Amino acid sequence: MELTQVRYFVALTRLLNFTRAADACNVSQPALTRAIQRLEDELGGPLVYRERNLTQLTELGRAMLPHLEAMLEAADNASALAEARRQQPVASLKIGLGPGVGAAAIAGAVREVASLMPDLMVRFEEAAGAMLVESMLSDMLDCAVLPADCALPERFNHWKLYDEGAVVVMPPQHRLANAESITASDLDGEVLLHGERCGGFVQALRAACDGMFRVRRCDGGIGNMLDLVSAGLGIAILSERMAVPSPLVTCRLAKPPLNREVRLAAIAGRPQGPAVAGFIKLCRAGCGL
Amino acid sequence: MGLDEQLQAERQRRTADDAVRLAYEDVFTTLSQNGFLSGVLGEAAAFPDFVLPNAEGRLVSLASRLAEGPVVVQFFRGEWCPFCRLMLDALVAALPEIEAAGASLLALTPDMGPWARQAKQNHGATFEVLSDVDYGVGLAAGVVFRIPALYRSRLMRAGIDFAERHGNGSQFLPVPAVFLLDVNGRVAWRFVSVDFTRRAAPDRILGELRRLAAPEQE
Repeated sequence: MELTQVRYFVALTRLLNFTRAADACNVSQPALTRAIQRLEDELGGPLVYRERNLTQLTELGRAMLPHLEAMLEAADNASALAEARRQQPVASLKIGLGPGVGAAAIAGAVREVASLMPDLMVRFEEAAGAMLVESMLSDMLDCAVLPADCALPERFNHWKLYDEGAVVVMPPQHRLANAESITASDLDGEVLLHGERCGGFVQALRAACDGMFRVRRCDGGIGNMLDLVSAGLGIAILSERMAVPSPLVTCRLAKPPLNREVRLAAIAGRPQGPAVAGFIKLCRAGCGL
Repeated sequence: MGLDEQLQAERQRRTADDAVRLAYEDVFTTLSQNGFLSGVLGEAAAFPDFVLPNAEGRLVSLASRLAEGPVVVQFFRGEWCPFCRLMLDALVAALPEIEAAGASLLALTPDMGPWARQAKQNHGATFEVLSDVDYGVGLAAGVVFRIPALYRSRLMRAGIDFAERHGNGSQFLPVPAVFLLDVNGRVAWRFVSVDFTRRAAPDRILGELRRLAAPEQE
């Protein structure tokens, strides 16, 4: 399969007219027609119906289109990144972080993109899933890292990044600080701090068992809540991937296992700059990191 | 036993099963008849510059490798493929000589990071294994094809989940072509076959590499 064949086919699917597609691709119409025919030979059947005034995709054409679009985008991205490495343009990367999702898990990918484009500007936005979706739709964010239970409209692409479990966060002098792992019953008598940014682990724990713990609402930034944990106001349950400042300690919550899937989401078909394309590519290739 | 003999033996062993033989032939026949080879980047063509993630989650740029010398770009299907495993072992053994000739080796697979890491570890490879996410570089080099139905169902029965390995549901693969690029990024030599049981043995790659480094006097 050739890059130009795929490029011509994708142009044709957008314009549904051979003459206009050929103009848009800067080739003669016979050249475009030949390229589409060769692509059809390779993919094993007609991709378009050619009727007098009507060009329509066949079932095979419709089935192949999203895959060919993704490949074309990947080819263009790989060379755009190479171009950005040479030109070092000013670029930005605006990443949404869903509830309880820290930047630690994706920091390596951001570092790699920045090493290619030293003038990269990075912005994180922490918010609820629905807010992040809104921000992506209004072009305020390039992509978002979200728990899999955040609903996404159909026009979004999403890729699984990793599964994560939960840890209990506590001050170093806490009675459980040296435990190997913790179960729900160990938390009897404790005060659990939780808020909108915590990732819902405390709610999931309450749904899974009738623990004898108390819950205290503490909304706002996670950093502020961790200050309260340091001060002995209570303990927190967060993602195991969340970076926790010392001297706070973490211990795995083994039972019940509060695992969740985290994924990367971006709007399908929206043109991306090289920084965003490189970041998404790194995150996808590094799945399970 | 050299790579060619090992590949031949592996092919004989596997195609003793008629169902496997027919599935292999499905690929060879389809790609021989549909004009696939004419789309593969030829000698003297400029290989498109690229940046791709490696198995360790770093970005690797072709241009930065070319700045240090010729580059061998080897496409492979994945660690699931027995012929690729033999080839990777042979490349690992040949790497010191490739590097001694001033070149570097980049191995590109459509598999995502965890499987690229697994391939590196299983073979003790120190060359870069890059994830060609969504086959972008493979498409630009013309080496990507849609897996024919019979072979696809054979692989599915063998439990190979491309949707997971490739991070997409497209069901495409590269032919395991190899491109030797001169320092200007042009294809000095290439080996490509629709028969994925045939590979360029490292001796051939090394021979071409030495010829590139010291062209015969006219």
